[in-house]
Amino acid sequence: MHKPLLLNRRELLKVGTGLGISSLLPFSAVSANTLQTQAHIVILGGGAAGMAMANRLATRLEGGTITLVEPRSTHHYQPGWTLVASGVWQPDKTMRPNAQFVPRGVKWVREYAASIDADNKRVGLANGATLDYEYLVVATGIQLNYHLIEGMSPSLVGQHGIGSVYASIEGATRTNQAIQTWLDSGQGKGIFTAAPTPVKCAGAPLKMTFTTLSRLEASGRRDAFEVDFMAPGDALFSQPWVNEFVKQRFDEQGVNRRHHYRLSAIDPQAKQAEFTFVGPDSEFTSHHQLREAEFRRDNQPTVIADYDFIHVVPPMSAHDFVKQSALIAQDGPFRGEWLDVDIYTMQHNRYPEVFGIGDVIGAPINKTAASVKAQAPVVEANLIAVMQGNPLPARHTGYTSCPMITGIGKAMLVEFGYEDNFAFMPSFPFIDPTDESWVTWVMKDRMLQPAYYAVLEGQA
Amino acid sequence: MTLTGIITILMYALAPFIWLMLAAAVIIVGLHLFAYLRGYQITHHRSVLALLLAGLVGLTAFVWVPWFTHSTLDYVATVVDWVALTSAAIATFIVALIVLHPLSYLISDRRTD
Repeated sequence: MHKPLLLNRRELLKVGTGLGISSLLPFSAVSANTLQTQAHIVILGGGAAGMAMANRLATRLEGGTITLVEPRSTHHYQPGWTLVASGVWQPDKTMRPNAQFVPRGVKWVREYAASIDADNKRVGLANGATLDYEYLVVATGIQLNYHLIEGMSPSLVGQHGIGSVYASIEGATRTNQAIQTWLDSGQGKGIFTAAPTPVKCAGAPLKMTFTTLSRLEASGRRDAFEVDFMAPGDALFSQPWVNEFVKQRFDEQGVNRRHHYRLSAIDPQAKQAEFTFVGPDSEFTSHHQLREAEFRRDNQPTVIADYDFIHVVPPMSAHDFVKQSALIAQDGPFRGEWLDVDIYTMQHNRYPEVFGIGDVIGAPINKTAASVKAQAPVVEANLIAVMQGNPLPARHTGYTSCPMITGIGKAMLVEFGYEDNFAFMPSFPFIDPTDESWVTWVMKDRMLQPAYYAVLEGQA
Repeated sequence: MTLTGIITILMYALAPFIWLMLAAAVIIVGLHLFAYLRGYQITHHRSVLALLLAGLVGLTAFVWVPWFTHSTLDYVATVVDWVALTSAAIATFIVALIVLHPLSYLISDRRTD
């Protein structure tokens, strides 16, 4: 359903402000920013990336047709899920109607996408209908592959001591309850895992460990609890400085770090997890190639670990219908798993009328909402350039940001990009990315959600 | 960042507190109006007690502001943290003084009636 014609308070203020500002500008300055077109643009996905693109293109294009394919009526602020799973936020704080963000004039198709026929420029929907496009923006997000862990299912989250912040907002809520149940038991072993694939918000598994450590320490019985972190490779985070910091802090806080162990199976009834040893030659990097075959345990040593609580991070990939399309990477580190785009221009490497944005793209970092903020203007500028037959003017630096929560009430503002081995790219010169800070926590707790909604509206 | 972007962010950030801010504004304006009708003038009235109480209220910000943000004073560590928290305490002091100053006049005015 589209927005009603009546303006709400927020829109009224923005319209008023916009009119005030535009009255100061010459008309040519306003009209120069729009492009007259008859093109049909399809945007697949209405998460942070898709919604930001819908709003940006709706502002920039006049006369064309923009179709947004998004089945869900509720928009989830997923960066808030770690705070829900940590017991800091209530779940309803992370939800808003999608109708609030879909711009007027954009055709909203409330259906799941089921296939992409890139050669014929056609998208198939779950209801059997098809959509033809001239330009396509793939913003379908990520697929959680819980099924690659034997015995695991998202429906188990919240039961048998199993938590997983990624499962859903309900899963994040039940993860908080599972942690609280473990805390209330007064003792026991908790296992925190990571995935052998790129994951959205790579800091989330670390944040869940740090916030749980805060809760354990606040209980006054920290010594009664054992905490293990099982990593599939030798690194915990892609940014080198942060990686070393987290390792050191885990050691200081009594976390048993075990590297080169991948969660391969789980027995919820017995509260046992099976880990496959995948070292020492393998590395946990964002370039790691995920193959179903890699999850076979043949000829690989495994260990069984008892737990009272386990935080499960599933392997992730692009959605199956993207993987089965010609748009998927054909070679290189993202082969068969992620969208094949130029990580600087965001244009598809083989289909120039296709752009990718957000979690779905094959890139060494960048699966955060902050990345979308940096990518959206690049996709907008380059897509419009393609429509005009011009060279691509914009390049993505790889900027991504992670407010690394190091305890409930403190955080580090980690911002970095592709260059110089993921060197820091601080937005605020007065905030040191290597400092744990209350102000950074306040930004995470109070300011990033408003900034996220501004990105959705194409305003930031 | 555009001006509309900044406005959008501020509106989303302040939205949960709009009614609280409106209620505070109504109380402050109402109090000042009532006090002015009773002869209060901001520059002519002196109250050491109001100043002291406002100072104490301002100091409480060092406890409740971190608590309000789901944190604690223990985690206020960097220079930026302290500048931000001190600014919040000063703002709390000013708001408290704006309330307590006319209030002290009204109380002393009632005593002299």
